[in-house]
Amino acid sequence: MKNALWNNIFQGWNSQESETVLTLKQVPIFKGFTDKEFQDLEKLFHRRAYDAGEFVFKNRAPGEGMYIIMKGAVKITIGTRENNEQILAELSEGSFFGELALFDDDPRSANAIATVQSDLLGFFTADLMTLNDRNPQMGNKILLNLGGVLGERLRGTNQLLLESQSN
Amino acid sequence: MGLLFVGFLSLVWPYISNVVLILVFAFLFTTVLLKSVDSIERRINNRGLSVLIVTVGLLAGIGLFIGSFISEISQQATDFSNRIDQDTLTAEFSKLGAKISATLPEGMATGSGDFSAALSGFIQIVIENLAALAGVIGNFVLNAAMILIFTIILLAEYHHFKKVLVGFFSNKYFEVGLGLIYNIEKSVSSYLRGQFLAAASVAVMSLVGLTILNFTGANLTLTVFIGIIAGLANLIPLVGPFVGMIPAILIAFMNNIGNDVAMAHQLFGVVPSPFYVLDIVVMFIIVQQIEGNLITPTLVGKSVGIHPMMVMISLIIGGTLMGPLGMLFAVPATGILKVIIHEIMFVRRNAHLL
Repeated sequence: MKNALWNNIFQGWNSQESETVLTLKQVPIFKGFTDKEFQDLEKLFHRRAYDAGEFVFKNRAPGEGMYIIMKGAVKITIGTRENNEQILAELSEGSFFGELALFDDDPRSANAIATVQSDLLGFFTADLMTLNDRNPQMGNKILLNLGGVLGERLRGTNQLLLESQSN
Repeated sequence: MGLLFVGFLSLVWPYISNVVLILVFAFLFTTVLLKSVDSIERRINNRGLSVLIVTVGLLAGIGLFIGSFISEISQQATDFSNRIDQDTLTAEFSKLGAKISATLPEGMATGSGDFSAALSGFIQIVIENLAALAGVIGNFVLNAAMILIFTIILLAEYHHFKKVLVGFFSNKYFEVGLGLIYNIEKSVSSYLRGQFLAAASVAVMSLVGLTILNFTGANLTLTVFIGIIAGLANLIPLVGPFVGMIPAILIAFMNNIGNDVAMAHQLFGVVPSPFYVLDIVVMFIIVQQIEGNLITPTLVGKSVGIHPMMVMISLIIGGTLMGPLGMLFAVPATGILKVIIHEIMFVRRNAHLL
């Protein structure tokens, strides 16, 4: 009885980090965030469950934001399953995809399909706008980190292009 | 299914209409105040305190306005009663009645012969209905308190409520649902902010107009309050601008009664305008024209773009369902419906992509 009372009073003092925070800490977009910022960030993310084979989004569908894989795996494809499906990438826990939709209004450029039962965290343009209104410092950190990640990917693409040209 | 829903709604509507009204108003207030709360939260990093600051600021503003308005209006009434006794008032009413009759065509003049008697009868009815008025005021205060409580809760938990609402969408419609809510938020918020800016511009222009009229000898007092009331009334489309003129006309009447120069005043030296009534009406029409043709299109743009015919239909429906309050939110509600229909049509057109 006494223990339960003290536990209630001091709840949160020794609380474990949630699964969402643990996942977010693995993602380079949130590099340099404090524990408090991770807790604030957690409130913005939408946790969604997908069955194996279920589309997260389809090619040419309107895109609203990015997803982070918390559990499970997702493949990025073009073409249809019946007709010449090409797998562009297979992503596992801690990976993220669809981040370009945070920057432009263009439709999705590929399909994203859960390959096993998966839990994803969604972060969308509306959430980023809200974050910029409420806590612009955090919003700017995310945008800078996203810019860094996109720059890194662009450099990787350039490298691949150079390699293919030299071969 | 749809018919069943409409039948069920018409059955329960009398019981839930008040709650719906309170919730809709709380939502509209939340939309207007949300940016301020978010912006204070940005500085002090505490949501609860931000809500408290905005709420206390709003209540202080309203309290200050109502308090000083009541004090000024009672001062005005005391001055009026000290200056004018009942005999003078009746004589002035008769003179005014005769003047109006003289300006009207032959056939129309018969009804306005005993103007003072008609006005006395009207005042008698008003006094008799004071008890009912007290009940209405009590009900209004209760509803206002409920709207305030709901607004505070919504402001504090807005982003959490939105997340919970989005959680109800299936995976297929999740992103579209999120986009829909975001677009609705944007449209409603820009519409309401535009309306409030337009109302503020009407208040300022009315104040300027009334000051100019005072230079011509209109002898108008409480000009700041008249301006604010005109601005607030402007929030109700079509009907509001006319409602906004009434306090100015009443004050002009109260201040100038017994003044023969004001009674004989002519607009532009041509059209008879006893107590500067016509001058006030023309001034308000000019203000409305500037607001409607210059300020609102610039501030709000034509993004909400509801056809005037739809505005009238929505006003009639709002007025029939909930009276003047219904008219106040009829147009924003139509704006929300328009955005929802637009988004649903977009989803239907692109359903094969989801």
